[in-house]
Amino acid sequence: MLPSLQLLSVSNPSSIIPSTTLNPKPILRTPKPHRFSKSSFRPAAAPVQSVLQWNRQPQLAGDTPRVVVITSGKGGVGKTTTTANVGLSLARLGFSVVAIDADVGLRNLDLLLGLENRVNYTLVEVLNGDCRLDQALVRDKRWSNFELLCISKPRSKLPIGFGGKALVWLVDSLKTREEGCPNFILIDCPAGIDAGFITAITPANEAVLVTTPDITSLRDADRVTGLLECDGIKDIKMIVNRVRTDMIKGEDMMSVLDVQEMLGLALLGVIPEDSEVIRSTNRGYPLVLNKPPTLGGLAFEQAAWRLVEQDSMKAVMVEEEPKKRGGFFSFFGG
Amino acid sequence: MLSPPSIWTLDCHLVSCQGPGALLGRLPDVRVNFGLRRSDNCGERLRRNFLLKLRASGDAVPSSGTDSLEHNAIEVEKGDPFGRFRGVISSLPPVVFVIKRNPGANFVIGFCIATSIFFIIGRLYSARKAVHDPPGSVADLVRRGQLRSDRRGISKPLKYEDPFNNPLVKVGKKNSTVEMCGKVYRMAPVTLTKEEQAVHRRRRSWAYQWKRPTMFLKESDTIPPDVDPDAVRWIPANHPFATTATDIAEDLAQTNVYQKHGVPFRIQAEHEALQRKLEALQREEKLDKLVIDRGNANDFERSLMFQEKSSDTEHSPPHESSKSDHSMKSSETDSSPEETQKS
Repeated sequence: MLPSLQLLSVSNPSSIIPSTTLNPKPILRTPKPHRFSKSSFRPAAAPVQSVLQWNRQPQLAGDTPRVVVITSGKGGVGKTTTTANVGLSLARLGFSVVAIDADVGLRNLDLLLGLENRVNYTLVEVLNGDCRLDQALVRDKRWSNFELLCISKPRSKLPIGFGGKALVWLVDSLKTREEGCPNFILIDCPAGIDAGFITAITPANEAVLVTTPDITSLRDADRVTGLLECDGIKDIKMIVNRVRTDMIKGEDMMSVLDVQEMLGLALLGVIPEDSEVIRSTNRGYPLVLNKPPTLGGLAFEQAAWRLVEQDSMKAVMVEEEPKKRGGFFSFFGG
Repeated sequence: MLSPPSIWTLDCHLVSCQGPGALLGRLPDVRVNFGLRRSDNCGERLRRNFLLKLRASGDAVPSSGTDSLEHNAIEVEKGDPFGRFRGVISSLPPVVFVIKRNPGANFVIGFCIATSIFFIIGRLYSARKAVHDPPGSVADLVRRGQLRSDRRGISKPLKYEDPFNNPLVKVGKKNSTVEMCGKVYRMAPVTLTKEEQAVHRRRRSWAYQWKRPTMFLKESDTIPPDVDPDAVRWIPANHPFATTATDIAEDLAQTNVYQKHGVPFRIQAEHEALQRKLEALQREEKLDKLVIDRGNANDFERSLMFQEKSSDTEHSPPHESSKSDHSMKSSETDSSPEETQKS
């Protein structure tokens, strides 16, 4: 069958918050490991329970600031989209967030957030002494606890050798600022494993790996995961993006569980393919701000929820038949 | 015994399938065959309805079909009544539905049809309007200045205020299903275990042995003596990191990042340099005023400034010369046009 989305949230043992606090009841029994094949998978036997914790504020786990790098290896899988949506979701959940666009040559995070006209200074100007750090941070007017910092302007150049060190200084400076230390520092990593990647992962202590269910993206994701682990980043979770349930049903696309079996990483979220992504990019409004919310926006919200509590997915959703409404008006689409 | 509504049903099919002339010709025959009289009120009303509908639909039927129908009718009249009845049955299409006619049925049917038509039209109109004006369209790119075009509309900004009260997400009673955005999903467990994660981690640590570089060097540079060669990342000369000379010291850059208050370093440095320059200029002016006659002071200032300008353009870097030019221009604007012409 086709796993598409996930809503279950179970506290990670490494979380500083006891699991009893987060989940009063033991909601999931860990299923026995078994080999999974797309055609023979039937989840009915396992006692799966879903807990949607929409009714409470997530409790922040880990030391602040949580420096999270969002990376993939392959380009075009949705790193920047994930950064924008998860970042704004975290801001809406009440946490202060600083998003850093570490893509030196090809920055796009400001476009997705609709802040492109407000970026006057970047980290390069801060390093050169043209402005202070607080002047380079662009505060989002929709959610004032969300700030954006771009590394450089398209034609400006970052001084050689400063890349990684500059971001470490930046994190240290944000820790000691007067407004208080931000809860999350999200770093949008450029594609590839070049100098930009090295720069972006330098200050991070956890990583979110964005991948799509195709073998090219999975190979790059596996390599990037290996490099992150070699660098000492052990808390790596993945987001499977652009999942198409219809193609999974026809066995033209790997399922989420197949992806997880290949990479061996904990799942932070599964994002379905959504045409609203392009519309939201055009508008400069991330998906999570859409009203009514879209399926992709809801999935990003849940991923952000899990990121706060350092949770991982323990169950994925399997799409069933659309809900039947029946009646005369359903014929007309009402 | 057949009743008039049954005849109405048969004639309805005639209307839909055959020509008006044939039907008009056959209707009295059929009635005669079944012993019906035209004096019946219902029959009379039916006939009027027939005539209306026949006029509406009669043009689409070819004349050949009408001729063959009349020919059949003539043949049927020649036989016995039972044969005529069989002929009528065979010439007519099969009966698909029967409308039992009640008083006021026409009004109800008409009302339903009109309501449906209005509903469908309204639905189509709203759908078309939604297609033509979707949020997040190219018009938003125009609004944001990304597209150079005329303004094609401004979409309303949407905000989703409450993340903790989402009516679009409903959990099933047994927590095994969830309904999101109108679709019901069943939950399936994740099969990855801690042991499998550890196996993957060991595999990757064996496959990808990597040490993060701490220094970027251009391909033509030499490695500094105190740097581990394994920690150097060689980058091509056209890389963004490599195309800029390190014109600022590392310590100074770090200080700039840590600066919380006050004027930024470069702004302050430029301001101080300009201040020094102005002070120097003012000192020179004072000195000159001590020596030179006041009557010739203006002329002397101008020649002195032009000399200074020529020396600045020869020796100073470009941005400083531009600033000195700016100060020159400002002083020139202070002077009168007559003086400019004199010089």
